[in-house]
Amino acid sequence: MSWIIDGADRETHTAALPVIGDHFEQLYASFWELPQLPAQTLELCRLRLAQLHRSHADFELQKYPLASAKRDSLKDWHRGELFTAAERACLEFTEIYAMDCRNITDEQATAVKQHHGEVGLVALLQALGVFDGVIRLGLIWQTSATGVTDNGH
Amino acid sequence: MATEARVQAPASDTGNVIRDSALGIVPQTLEHYLALNAAIWDAGPLNAAEIELARLRNAQHVGCVFCQAVRYDVAMAAGLTEEKVQIIRQQSPAEQLSPRENLIIAFTDQYAQDPAGLNEGLKGDLLEEFSEQELLHLSLVVAYFNGFSRCAVGLGGMPDHVPVMEISVPR
Repeated sequence: MSWIIDGADRETHTAALPVIGDHFEQLYASFWELPQLPAQTLELCRLRLAQLHRSHADFELQKYPLASAKRDSLKDWHRGELFTAAERACLEFTEIYAMDCRNITDEQATAVKQHHGEVGLVALLQALGVFDGVIRLGLIWQTSATGVTDNGH
Repeated sequence: MATEARVQAPASDTGNVIRDSALGIVPQTLEHYLALNAAIWDAGPLNAAEIELARLRNAQHVGCVFCQAVRYDVAMAAGLTEEKVQIIRQQSPAEQLSPRENLIIAFTDQYAQDPAGLNEGLKGDLLEEFSEQELLHLSLVVAYFNGFSRCAVGLGGMPDHVPVMEISVPR
């Protein structure tokens, strides 16, 4: 249950500060329509961030449909054969980004660029920043994401 | 940290540090980024000096050399001093800051280090000092600048040192 305002979900919080909240939500929405980065790849990266933050609410949330096998084996993406080379490059980048973005190597950045170009790398960095922010906000506000009613299941 | 830039910035020279940076090569997100950045400074209840305290503390956590070197002119005009900037670079600046400033630092630290671990004591202190709107603003300030700083670091081209520079909010 949130401690700042009445309302269990994150969107209620951003809506309570309308101008900033609206722009934040619009930026978040813009990532799902990028031609340079498939929404499916972004969803994998968002879910991996949720796992690393141990945010069950964000992992339960579905922003883009994925095959359940991919979702179920996401923790072991490096071992499974379900993931494409492009997805692997983005997932590896996401993991280092989450742990310490100063440790991203040129090779990891180049791997993303090989599949998605320079624009894709910038877009991925932007998207990871917002996804990570959304997850952290949910945790610190102690809210759920929309469509998820229990933050602790 | 990578000192070679991983992405070529656009050739534009508009004077807008966001538009002219690598962020400018993604047209689908650029205007949203600019609009959010302006709103962060203009559309919330915290004053510019308070926003800058949170921004600079976050920059230190992320290790963004550029972000740490920047001072926004609106924040300096709102009363932020270089002396105070140096104080918040310390690990535990408690004695030299006001209770309100210390809470801004504490919230920023919590967000950066352990967002799920906010304890009842800090929660109570925040609720006592800040209005609901101020707490939401502080949260979104820290979230925005945290993502922005991490993006800057991830793009590479980060020198070991950059001299302090005062700039205006890009619009």
